[in-house]
Amino acid sequence: MMLDKILIISKYTFKELIKSRILYVTLIIGIALMVVTYVATEFTYGVPEKVALDFGLGMLSLSSVGISLFMGASLLFKEIDSRTVYMVISRPVPRWVFITGKITGLIFILLLNIGILTVMTLTCSYLLGGEINQAILMSILFNFLESVLLLLVVVFLSLFINNTLATIISLTVLLLGHAIKDTKNILFVQQRPYIQYVLDLYHFVLPNFYKLNLKDYVIYNQTLSLDFLLGSFAYGVCYSLFLFFMIIFLFNRKNLD
Amino acid sequence: MLKFENITKIFKPEFFNQPFVALSDVSFEIPSGSMVGFLGANGAGKTTSLKIIMDFIRADKGLVTFSSELGEKRNDVFRNIGFLPERPYFYPNLTGREFLTFMGQISELSSDQIKAGIAKWASRFKIDHALERPLRTYSKGMLQRIGFLATILHEPKLIILDEPLSGLDPIGRKELKDVIVEVHREGKTVFFSSHIVPDIEEICDRVVFLKEGKLVYDGPVDKLLRSGQEIDYVIKFKTDKKINLQSTIKSHQTFPGQLHSITVTESNKKLILKELMALDVDLSGIDLIKPSLEEIFYHIKAN
Repeated sequence: MMLDKILIISKYTFKELIKSRILYVTLIIGIALMVVTYVATEFTYGVPEKVALDFGLGMLSLSSVGISLFMGASLLFKEIDSRTVYMVISRPVPRWVFITGKITGLIFILLLNIGILTVMTLTCSYLLGGEINQAILMSILFNFLESVLLLLVVVFLSLFINNTLATIISLTVLLLGHAIKDTKNILFVQQRPYIQYVLDLYHFVLPNFYKLNLKDYVIYNQTLSLDFLLGSFAYGVCYSLFLFFMIIFLFNRKNLD
Repeated sequence: MLKFENITKIFKPEFFNQPFVALSDVSFEIPSGSMVGFLGANGAGKTTSLKIIMDFIRADKGLVTFSSELGEKRNDVFRNIGFLPERPYFYPNLTGREFLTFMGQISELSSDQIKAGIAKWASRFKIDHALERPLRTYSKGMLQRIGFLATILHEPKLIILDEPLSGLDPIGRKELKDVIVEVHREGKTVFFSSHIVPDIEEICDRVVFLKEGKLVYDGPVDKLLRSGQEIDYVIKFKTDKKINLQSTIKSHQTFPGQLHSITVTESNKKLILKELMALDVDLSGIDLIKPSLEEIFYHIKAN
């Protein structure tokens, strides 16, 4: 029964967002991808398929991050501000069902965005002589995981702070999460143990988004160990589940005023 | 049907600001089958009380209990409640029909029940022509009407409405009041907030009156409007004769066209009417002067 309600809420969240023309951005990116691919065939000698793949994966990542950040930040704010949440949770709908349905609906949007751009990227790359291998698909799966994790970070933050601040802090967490590994390797940091402690603490507590970024490995044909892939995947899933349960715990206790 | 017992709610804003007491030890009861008005000026604590009843926010002290006729578990109780928030905006990109279907589905109605409910009420609320349009194209009154339709679609036993008549034109107010009365006659318990005395007086049998977070009255509407307080009437008439009445009047005004308007107390009304009839005046009308919210409050305070 509760699963049905989660699906109903996610279905209408998906419908509402689709009709808000959010996917126009995806289509514009798709068209840009085709234009860049065409230009690449004229100016890059020998590797146009790599340019198409690089640009496609980059845009796919950027658009998913954009959707997670901006849609995630307003997911709860808009519901409370427009009092729609009152209509829904005044029915036999527990709060955890409501928030799970809303997040699931937005995850479906992310899936659709990634699905459309994946098809376009792979088509362009394939037409230019590139091959579709497991590593590309793995990179896209990890990209999806990254955008879901970011979505949960921004929804989590929006439970305490306003949506603008939640967006800015989440973006900062994303950038730091990508930069943390390289930052720790800088000689300046390695020579200063106290900075290392801070970075270790950050590394331990906040999401390490770099673990979910496989684009460079794909573009430069680097091999990935199964242990690394499984470890990174488990990290992303576990961190997402932790945030998801924290969101439910806090939303159940939140004063909706 | 519903007991609101010794509720206190204190809002604690940011640092340095003083805590704000929104509700102070407020208790009242909504009897089953009644139509209860929730009266109070803006900021009196009406919406806060409704949010506590609906569990959107938690009280610092006190308890809200629902009678067993609504159900034992939380989901059973909320299956039997219809709540309409103040000035709702809903999902702007969904059509009216999609929104109602969504509300019906989460209220555990079958698709046949949803279709029958929409067919029954949409034409009554005069929104049947707009059901396929996105909600962002609806006027304020249409949103209020579709919101009320969504509230009663699952045939709840208890209907709670937060300022349902605000933002409606006179015709819209009349239509919505008629439907509220109709669903009440079908056996539903209705509890609705308003800061407009005539709205409550017109359709409610009981009233709960809040002032600055405190309960000042809980009882029949008539008693609130009349108990111990002299009701005044305005009598309007036309005459070319000089008026010199024996009985006491509160005020006398004259207007162009030999129109006179006198204000009298309820106890003097009959005597003065007899005198006016004896003077053979052309009677234009008698109106009851309804006390304002503030007058009622000060009267209650004085007593």
